[in-house]
Amino acid sequence: MEDPMAAIRETFFQECDEQLAELETGLIAMENGTAETETVNAVFRAVHSMKGGAGIFALDALVRFAHVFETALDKVRSGTLAATPAVLGVFLRAADVLADLVHAARENTSVDNARTATMVAEFDKINNDCETPSPAPAKTAPAAGSGLFEAALEEQNSAWEISFTPRAELYAKANETAIILRELRRLGEIDVRLDASCLPELSELDPEGAYLTWHIKLTSDCDEAAIRHVFEFVEDDCVLLITPPEPQGFVPGTVITGDNGFKFEFFPPPEDEEPAPEPEAAVPPPPREAPAAAKNPAVEVMAAKAESAAAVSATIRVDLDRVDRMIDLVGELVINEAMLSQRVLEAGIARASGVAMALEELEHLTREIQDSVMAIRAQPVRSVFQRMPRLVREVAAQTHKQVRLVTEGEGTEVDKTVIERIADPLTHMIRNAIDHGLESTERRIEIGKPAEGTVKLIALHRSGRIVLEVSDDGAGINRARVREKAVENGVIAADAQLSDDEIDNLIFLPGFSTAAKVSDISGRGVGMDVVRQSVAALGGRISITSRPGLGSTFTLSLPLTLAVLDGMVVSAHGHTLIIPLSAIVETLKPRAQDVFPLDHEINVLALRGGYVPMVDIANSLCYSESFIEPEQSVALLVEGEGGVRAVLLVDAIHGQRQVVIKSLEANYRAVPGIGAATVMGDGRVALILDVDAMVRNARSDAGRGAELAVTEAV
Amino acid sequence: MSNALELPMILDLIAAPSLLEEFISRRGDALAVDAGAVQRLGAQCLQVLLAARAAWAADGQKLLLENITEEFSATLELLGATPDDLTHDLSHDAQQDGPILDNKELAA
Repeated sequence: MEDPMAAIRETFFQECDEQLAELETGLIAMENGTAETETVNAVFRAVHSMKGGAGIFALDALVRFAHVFETALDKVRSGTLAATPAVLGVFLRAADVLADLVHAARENTSVDNARTATMVAEFDKINNDCETPSPAPAKTAPAAGSGLFEAALEEQNSAWEISFTPRAELYAKANETAIILRELRRLGEIDVRLDASCLPELSELDPEGAYLTWHIKLTSDCDEAAIRHVFEFVEDDCVLLITPPEPQGFVPGTVITGDNGFKFEFFPPPEDEEPAPEPEAAVPPPPREAPAAAKNPAVEVMAAKAESAAAVSATIRVDLDRVDRMIDLVGELVINEAMLSQRVLEAGIARASGVAMALEELEHLTREIQDSVMAIRAQPVRSVFQRMPRLVREVAAQTHKQVRLVTEGEGTEVDKTVIERIADPLTHMIRNAIDHGLESTERRIEIGKPAEGTVKLIALHRSGRIVLEVSDDGAGINRARVREKAVENGVIAADAQLSDDEIDNLIFLPGFSTAAKVSDISGRGVGMDVVRQSVAALGGRISITSRPGLGSTFTLSLPLTLAVLDGMVVSAHGHTLIIPLSAIVETLKPRAQDVFPLDHEINVLALRGGYVPMVDIANSLCYSESFIEPEQSVALLVEGEGGVRAVLLVDAIHGQRQVVIKSLEANYRAVPGIGAATVMGDGRVALILDVDAMVRNARSDAGRGAELAVTEAV
Repeated sequence: MSNALELPMILDLIAAPSLLEEFISRRGDALAVDAGAVQRLGAQCLQVLLAARAAWAADGQKLLLENITEEFSATLELLGATPDDLTHDLSHDAQQDGPILDNKELAA
């Protein structure tokens, strides 16, 4: 039988991933100065939650480190430690160490203890730094404080006020106040006051209800985390207010955030409340004050809590397999619906008949279901982008360069399968940008660039695809060096005439690296060609633009989803093919006088003052030996990656429809020129054309000289 | 003493409903509660005991707690209550109303 703890453990690690991402985002926001009050709380919560979860699984190393981290964060939260860039630098590195510890715990591998120890030492240092210069505010606050008053303050200073109101669920889950209080007593001396004011009449009492509130004064020098730790398992099932030992009480307007995300605010006391004790009175404020002040917030807490509960229930965690299964089924539904349409058509039922109308509605509905199901899988690219800052830090440290990562469009949504598979290519491209793209710091200063290099990562939607750009402000591609290297490796002939663009694109060829020395980071010659392959496997394209001295930009263009596609149904020599609609610019009927032969098999079409190579689909897919007469064909002007165009010739266009993509590689094998397959309404398999491959072929067949002559005039 | 109630050994969540019934069925008369067997006390049974005490006080009847075990009193103390909070002795009315009233004030 499967270990039930294993599943919980897995959930814990999934949550850790989310918390780590949140931690990173928060810290970076703090670093950039875009942090809000809530940010530091969110950061603290992330670490704290991980610590809590790790405790359950007895991941001691993780708990210990998280505790040290949390302690420092708490100081920032309480204002005793300023979040200087140096401190944030430590935090960011600590986040990396924490991620490593989580990873090690998940994989049951060992961790670099030395690194953890170094981090702990750094924390000790910042903790000490913050303690020496700033005396506790309690001691400086009362200007005219007598010795006695100060003593009273001091004494009170170590007493935490905890107000704890369990809900019935707490007991129903077999938790017990007595046990919690006993735990609390381990932390220090407790003074418990029971508030039974909400207890109903005996006859109205629900024996399983919860009516009591406990006000606990805890005299201990422990931190808030330690107290919260006691309430760890019950904090969702109670109203918990923890007031730190501050003599002044809370300034009205102070906002406290609970561990589970709820907030409450302290209000100024009513005017008619007894005045604060005179310093001479030498008595601590009446103990009732704190709970009384807490009354109002308690209502807020409950309201906020209800809100946060609603927010929590708004998302569910679903096994990806289930979603995939549903997507498959919806795919089948779409095919089935198409088949039904076909049958209705074949049965000769009139278009205006009830059956046809109902069918049309079904079609709309199916489409909507499909869109909704696809939306379930859509995720913002944020999850991938969030991994990059760490990568940048590490690579920057290894290469001794100063790098700033700028990201844009994290919210851009794309299918989960795409997300999962762009992480590696992106990682590689960013490494490459830092290692090869950016100059060394000395060199940058020498040529008058800012010492800190910038790597930009941008995501955006463009014509039904997601475009990812990785750009750097480095030296750009050293074309002379690339060319030299290509000749050296026998990739091109020594006398080959290449355009700048073509030289740039040489770096995508296998075994190509121009870095003078092979580094750990990149430059083993398995670089960009691997990236290009993995991108191509996703139905994506990669291109590069580079300006000497100004930097390079890699552009990745990927389909938003790998499951459905809007396509034009065409036929070529009796075969039905699908051409992705996103690639089609326009359709036209070529006229004989616009067609110019370049050689015995390649024609170009004159189109609005420019020339575009023509591709006979039937011939290039070997359906037919002969060539189609351009005048007899329908031409589709298509655009491949980088705006390169070609005209595809087919026999006829049969309409437009959404098709469910079935992988050809998975079910058969890869076929050049064909991207995938689909099942048509009549149950037959139709192939989906790989437009890029077609355009590329047309361009390479047409020869370089011709290609240069015909480009971009359209 | 016309009525007696012996508390079970474990006064936890599960014991609370039956404990409540016991009290309700004995309402209207003076009651002596024997806590001699109690080894464990939970907050929900404490609620019943507190409510019972309030009910007996409202009825003007005596409610006594006898044979308090060490475990029982230790847990009571931990939960911020005293045996006095659970008894209603007519001769000590004034004192005993103290803590409960205090809490009512707080709620007001």
